[in-house]
Amino acid sequence: MTPRLFLQIVSLEARTKFSYRVDFWINTVVGFSVELFVAWFLWKAVFEASGAELIGGRTFPQMVVYVIAAVLLGKFAIGRDFEGTISGDIYEGGLNRYLLFPANYVGVKYAQQLGRMVPLVVQVLLFGAFVVPLLGVAGEFKLSFGSVAMAMVALAVSNLLNFLMVFPLQATAFWADNVWSLMVAQRIVGSILGGFLLPLSVFPDAMRTTLEYLPWRFFYDFPARVMLGEIGFAEWLPGMALALGWCVVFRFLGRAVWNRGLYQYSGVGI
Amino acid sequence: MWRYIRLYGYFLRFSFSRAMEFRIDFFFRIGMDILWNATYLTFFTVLFLHTGMLGGWNYDQVLVFAGTLFVTDALNMTIFANNFWWFPVFVNKGDLDYHLVRPVSSLYFLSLRDFAANSFVNLLIAIGILTWALLRYPEPLGAGSIGLFVALIGLGAFINYTLGMIFLLPVFWLHNAEGGRNLFWSLGQTTGRPHRIYTGAVFRVLTTILPFALIASYPVDSLFGGAPAATLMHMAAVAVCLFLVLNIFWRRALRAYSSASS
Repeated sequence: MTPRLFLQIVSLEARTKFSYRVDFWINTVVGFSVELFVAWFLWKAVFEASGAELIGGRTFPQMVVYVIAAVLLGKFAIGRDFEGTISGDIYEGGLNRYLLFPANYVGVKYAQQLGRMVPLVVQVLLFGAFVVPLLGVAGEFKLSFGSVAMAMVALAVSNLLNFLMVFPLQATAFWADNVWSLMVAQRIVGSILGGFLLPLSVFPDAMRTTLEYLPWRFFYDFPARVMLGEIGFAEWLPGMALALGWCVVFRFLGRAVWNRGLYQYSGVGI
Repeated sequence: MWRYIRLYGYFLRFSFSRAMEFRIDFFFRIGMDILWNATYLTFFTVLFLHTGMLGGWNYDQVLVFAGTLFVTDALNMTIFANNFWWFPVFVNKGDLDYHLVRPVSSLYFLSLRDFAANSFVNLLIAIGILTWALLRYPEPLGAGSIGLFVALIGLGAFINYTLGMIFLLPVFWLHNAEGGRNLFWSLGQTTGRPHRIYTGAVFRVLTTILPFALIASYPVDSLFGGAPAATLMHMAAVAVCLFLVLNIFWRRALRAYSSASS
């Protein structure tokens, strides 16, 4: 696939997503707000009840900052709305045209997924600019050029990793009549093992060590901590190598499942 | 009344036979629900490594809350969720016509026709977890308290249903249910935490106007809160008000319905 075609697909999908304005604002204002405020109330209650100054190595304002970073940056990693498109192509026979087009199916789907994420950039920037001062934690955000640059790379890799993890799950649509449950299960696992519901630093040591080698950490905990300057270059580099290693593993897995599934595919949908 | 019970029997029979046709999805969904339960138990267990109380409840009480949350969620997934999913499709495609002409309440039919047999297994698992949490609770709870608790779980599930339906009804005017569905799902996240972690205006809103915090927390509060009668009255009042709102909203929505072009 040429870079020009890739960018055209990204642009097309972005314009499509921007056209749904009601969804756009509801997702932004209510969705983000509820996620953040539930976490804010939860940690406030935990800090007050425990009387501790530090939990998982963080003060209450630092915990709030982590939650904001994990919630907002996690949106870039997890993406949105693309999951059903692959299984949908299989179920409805839409895959036929991709088998004939002179374009790589995985590349097209990845470009579409990136395009659908463009509105998220606007949402996250607008919401972050509003919510950080509102929660009174602006002073806790100490961003540097280096940490932002490393976080951007980490987010790009984590987004690719998520796409490659979801791909084989979606490809089970060749056999299963509904893969929605698998998608939700993947998100549920990621939310607890990736540091979305709780920072990994609050897990017991033995468990945390294991979680740091698993792929879900790269969706929330890793990019958030890189952005906040908690992970320096020396720790970032092996982290990125591990994430890319997981990308390779899931790409191979996805290709194996896909190739096997194509033998099942009848081209008429189900 | 008997006609409605018999009709529900038919819904159950059709739903189970349909679930048996799609066995892979049947097991995927059970696996997903087990993971969801495990995630919540892990979440609260890890939190309690750092605190002795959460929203005024200790670990044993929060386990009962988690079990209650699983049961109310499983009731929703089993009885209502599939119907919520199909409802906007019926409205937008004009298929609602077929349900409006039947000699039964259209709201009843559209809310209950699709029973999710695969989630029913999760309901049994959720009841098992709740029973385990109640049995391991170190103090005696009393049969009366347990009876009220079970009744309030039913009321919580009913409140969840009415809220879900109210958030879907704008589809009659907007022709798109995504906004309402996202809104309901987003606000529903507040249900998953003990209600007393919320304070001030947020607490008041989540226990009255948008009573998501009542659904799982209030039944547990009737066991441990010390004022079960007040809890019952509050939940019952909210449920009645919401049902009235739903009925008014439903009648207005039907007046706005214009069949296939809706």
